[in-house]
Amino acid sequence: MGTESGTNRKLSKNLVALGTAAVLTVYAAGFVRTRSASQRFAAEAAERRPGTATLSVSDAQPATPTGETLRPQAPARQAARAQSAPESLRVADSARAAAATPALVAPAAQPAMTTTTTPAPAPDPVPTPARDSSSSASSSPKADTAAHEPVKERAQWKDGSYTGWGTSRHGDIEAGVEIDGGRIVAAYISQCRTRYSCSWISHLPPQVVTRQSPNVDYVSGATQSTNAFYYAVVEALAKAK
Amino acid sequence: MSDAFVHTVSLMGTVVTFEVVGHGGDRQERIEREAGVERALEWFHRVSDCCSRFDERSEVRRLSAQIGVSVPVSDMLFEAVRFALAVAEESGGAFDPTVGLRMEALGFDREYRSGRVVRTALPLEPGVSYRDVRLDPELKTITLDAPLVLDLGAVAKGLAIDMAARELTPFEDFAIDAGGDLFFGGHNLEGAPWSVGIRHPRDEHELIETLNVSDVAVCTSGDYERRSPAAEAGHHILDPRSGDSAAALASVTVIAPAAMVADALSTAAFVLGPVKGLELLERHGVEGLMMTPALERFTTASYRREVLRFAQDDHAVRTT
Repeated sequence: MGTESGTNRKLSKNLVALGTAAVLTVYAAGFVRTRSASQRFAAEAAERRPGTATLSVSDAQPATPTGETLRPQAPARQAARAQSAPESLRVADSARAAAATPALVAPAAQPAMTTTTTPAPAPDPVPTPARDSSSSASSSPKADTAAHEPVKERAQWKDGSYTGWGTSRHGDIEAGVEIDGGRIVAAYISQCRTRYSCSWISHLPPQVVTRQSPNVDYVSGATQSTNAFYYAVVEALAKAK
Repeated sequence: MSDAFVHTVSLMGTVVTFEVVGHGGDRQERIEREAGVERALEWFHRVSDCCSRFDERSEVRRLSAQIGVSVPVSDMLFEAVRFALAVAEESGGAFDPTVGLRMEALGFDREYRSGRVVRTALPLEPGVSYRDVRLDPELKTITLDAPLVLDLGAVAKGLAIDMAARELTPFEDFAIDAGGDLFFGGHNLEGAPWSVGIRHPRDEHELIETLNVSDVAVCTSGDYERRSPAAEAGHHILDPRSGDSAAALASVTVIAPAAMVADALSTAAFVLGPVKGLELLERHGVEGLMMTPALERFTTASYRREVLRFAQDDHAVRTT
């Protein structure tokens, strides 16, 4: 096995002992990161970004798309949810339901990594900015409805060029924005490090300009990339404040 | 009255099902149960990001882009490779994770089910083996001393299952099925040990055995699973020493305390054949059932149909 220093006792050659020790090591090494990752992905899987240009920031738990929603859903969110098919199903409690449908929307370039995903609402507050799309219609103290909410960002941006990174389990995206006269005049993907092509989200940067915000639409079948792009724009705009 | 939460998803080139029994009494419990499955699922993605030959950006593939360089790696990749090399040594090279390039050349260049294709721009050199991989446990580096691609398939899937199993251990009663490699914790919905059937290698509607198990992994290697697109009679389990598909056995099932162990050993025993394969399993204290293409059965000495946890110290199998 090459140059491995350490024990060469007979016991250490027992593969069951080696294997179970390796399992413990790997689990311990990844334990902490898995915790925060599961919370973050639970947040991503739930619809925390509205499909329209509303800004409603909430620290509350993301809603599950089942009968157990924590907050009532506004109709617009329902439509938006229908677009992102992979996140909307849930296997029922009780009887076994083999709901494995590997195929995702259209492109062969997007292999199906997940099918029926059940977003798990984190019991603890989600550390990342969990933009709960449904909270705008709720009684959450931090939520604001679209009607009353001014688009805060407009007054706050300083002129210049800014970039930010967004991450996802499929890789990272760097987005850039250009601010001129306090407005977003350009937005673009400067680095596409995701394993899948960024052509699937190429129509999103113009939305940032049109909407003067990072709140771009979902792209069915490219949820991870859209989220990464969204976070990248958020980070870039944060630098412009 | 107990209930079960079942979640099925397609990933790592196969269909994975998680089942957690009980813990569904109230809404908060159900939320936590789902969260546990979500965390278990997340481990599969992490293992894939680290160890998948079919992911261009995986950590293991990046090693092949730096032949001759001592590359610092994650704990996960280090332990997976270290274990794979230990199995290689213990099996005399019948199991060898350095077969990746040869597998690509035989057409096993795309991930089963997902169809992800990957090609490596490295020359296929003869004589490359597990001896061409060096580990430094202090610096936690891996060095590939010859052009090669590591195929961690058997080890990685088992590792993912073991990670998921640890994640679900607090729920006591659960099952993880990753395309026929399984881990069972506790008891099923009826309060009995989990029942698992072993597929007949020549008749997909038949079982050659039904096991009742608890707190163990059950992994099967068979020549019927993936046929080679390139080699005519070939399947995906190569004998690294010859380069051909291993032909002495049609099916090997291993029962072990960890899925990574069961997975790797079933592959190694498959290549070694009934005599040397059984020897390997006995030597390492796991149980196994083998079937030859002529449908002869071979089992380890203490093989039983009921396996209720392994006692670590003496590897004895406790039965009711």
